[in-house]
Amino acid sequence: MAQSCIFLVEDNPDDAFLVSRIIGKVCSEEIVLARDGEEAIQLLLQMAEDGSYRRIRLVLLDLKLPKINGIEVLQSIRSSGPLRDLPVAVLTSSDNETDQERCRALGVLEYIFKPLGVEALRRLLPLDKDA
Amino acid sequence: MDQNSAEPSAMGQVPYDLSGIALLYVEDEADARSMVSRMLAMNYPKLTLYDAEHGAAGIEMYREHEPEIVVTDINMPVMDGIRMSREIKALNPEARIIAVTAHSDTSYLLSAIEIGIHHYVLKPINYEELFSVIDKILEQIVLKRLVGEQNRRIIESERQLSRAQAIAHLGSWQLDLTDGSMNWSDELYRILGVEPGSVPAYYLTFLDRFTPQDREVIRKAIREALENRQPVTAQFCRIARPDGSQRILRVEAEVILDGAGVPALMIGTSHDVTELKQAEEQVRTLTDELERRVIQRTSLLQASVRELESFSYFVSHDLRAPVARLEGFCRALAEDCTNCSSSNCSVYAERAERVVRQIKQIIDAFNNLTHYARCKMVIEAIDLSAAVRRIAEGFLQSEPERRVSFSIADGLSVRGDPGLLQTALEHLIGNAWKFTSKREQALIEFGFSDEDSVRIYFLRDNGAGFNMKYLDKLFKPFQTIHTPGEYTWNGIAIGLATVHSIILRHGGRIWAEGEVDKGATFYFTLEPNPEPGSFL
Repeated sequence: MAQSCIFLVEDNPDDAFLVSRIIGKVCSEEIVLARDGEEAIQLLLQMAEDGSYRRIRLVLLDLKLPKINGIEVLQSIRSSGPLRDLPVAVLTSSDNETDQERCRALGVLEYIFKPLGVEALRRLLPLDKDA
Repeated sequence: MDQNSAEPSAMGQVPYDLSGIALLYVEDEADARSMVSRMLAMNYPKLTLYDAEHGAAGIEMYREHEPEIVVTDINMPVMDGIRMSREIKALNPEARIIAVTAHSDTSYLLSAIEIGIHHYVLKPINYEELFSVIDKILEQIVLKRLVGEQNRRIIESERQLSRAQAIAHLGSWQLDLTDGSMNWSDELYRILGVEPGSVPAYYLTFLDRFTPQDREVIRKAIREALENRQPVTAQFCRIARPDGSQRILRVEAEVILDGAGVPALMIGTSHDVTELKQAEEQVRTLTDELERRVIQRTSLLQASVRELESFSYFVSHDLRAPVARLEGFCRALAEDCTNCSSSNCSVYAERAERVVRQIKQIIDAFNNLTHYARCKMVIEAIDLSAAVRRIAEGFLQSEPERRVSFSIADGLSVRGDPGLLQTALEHLIGNAWKFTSKREQALIEFGFSDEDSVRIYFLRDNGAGFNMKYLDKLFKPFQTIHTPGEYTWNGIAIGLATVHSIILRHGGRIWAEGEVDKGATFYFTLEPNPEPGSFL
């Protein structure tokens, strides 16, 4: 099986850089980056079709995205057969309670306030998978 | 009462009130005078009786007492009855004179009649006859009095009605439906702007007084009232006065039917309500204006609240993202520079990270502050004394080593949002607690005073106090008037701004007095019935 990856949805290059840096500290996963909600959905559907979605160990999802927002991306993941059970963690800098509730209702591993830290990512990636 | 219990009247007694009526009896024969006088007194106990022994004395008596009735003998010394009667009639043509005369005196009768003596009784006196004549005269006098009294009352009440109409600007009228003639009260003439009686009062001249548009209204109202035999209900119509001015009348009328049930008369009123209508119009204009202003102010207020909303949204969302990014970079720097050759690198990175944390605290504080300014309020009854006591106990338990005595006035109940007021009190008491931390024996007092029926609450301490020249900074957010390190500082200084905001939401005011090293007192008022809900 091909190398596993982390699917990062982040529009801001600085944030993408910071998250990538933390990922690099914790594991050696490849990073697949989508820079807006539309791109994320297209990429994910394509991966669902060719089966490469199985490589995804974790989706790190920003909420405030161009075109299609993070919650809508999460909704399409949860409503698409093969992608339904993907582990998703939300990364945000907003403390909007409604967003938090909606995300939890759709099923997320964690709701993480930026910036992402090493400890938080270690929690999200169980060691056994990496070993 | 038993109707049959009325006493039968004595001979010649008339069933009228005779008080105030006087009778003069003139007779030269002493025996006859005293005899007749006695009989008169017996039969007419209510009459005032005078007597005189001849005509001259009779005139004197008449001048003095002006009796209504004179009974006189004809043949008398000094002055006879005829001459006396003539003089009395000259004094008062209304005087009623009864001549008592012997058969032999009948020659005088013609002159007696000429003078105006209408009654005579023959001698020797038949009392029944005399009393019957007196009764007739008394009856006339009493009836005349009654009529006079009625007349006086009618005149009085007409005068009153006319004054009342003038005072109330209420004119009245009567319309004779057979010929269209009308009767207008003086005030109606004046309301129409003409001298009473100066123009002919007819239905058509009445209608002519109204402005062309309103003439049809009043004509229609009267026609329908007659057709339906219903009253004309209040019609507000304009009339044009000869001087060109317009007045507004409230016209009402009733239809009066004749015996056969056919409308015969219409009786109505025309009330000049011009000033009333103008005042009404003014009130309406003012109310409209006021409503317009309220709407305008409300929309301005809503606009500024919305602006605040979007600003705080900007702070809580848009600003957080770059701050989080900055924090990420600071952390990256701190982590990656641990092995850097320059030791300053990691120190600076750590300090920068602390600065970022401060920025985040300020953002949180700002969001809290705007939350207090715009959150929904739920109004309940609150025991302020109990709330203060609970907060005080909390502080006492948190630092048991401190010696602080609280004095809390009992039974202060208010209406407000319990959560918000609790927060405000926590900040105020927290301040007092903090700024008395250097006191050996700290005193914190919560009390009130009533001034001009407004209750003023206060929280006083004997702590560090403040210089009054910094008063205007006191309630502003992110402002501090104490040197860093003097007192434990939570880093943000929005406590009093929060209190200010909460008191304002409760329709109250807050102000403070202080003196360096003597303590501070915070005063506040609360609206007895604050508005619940939120600005939006």
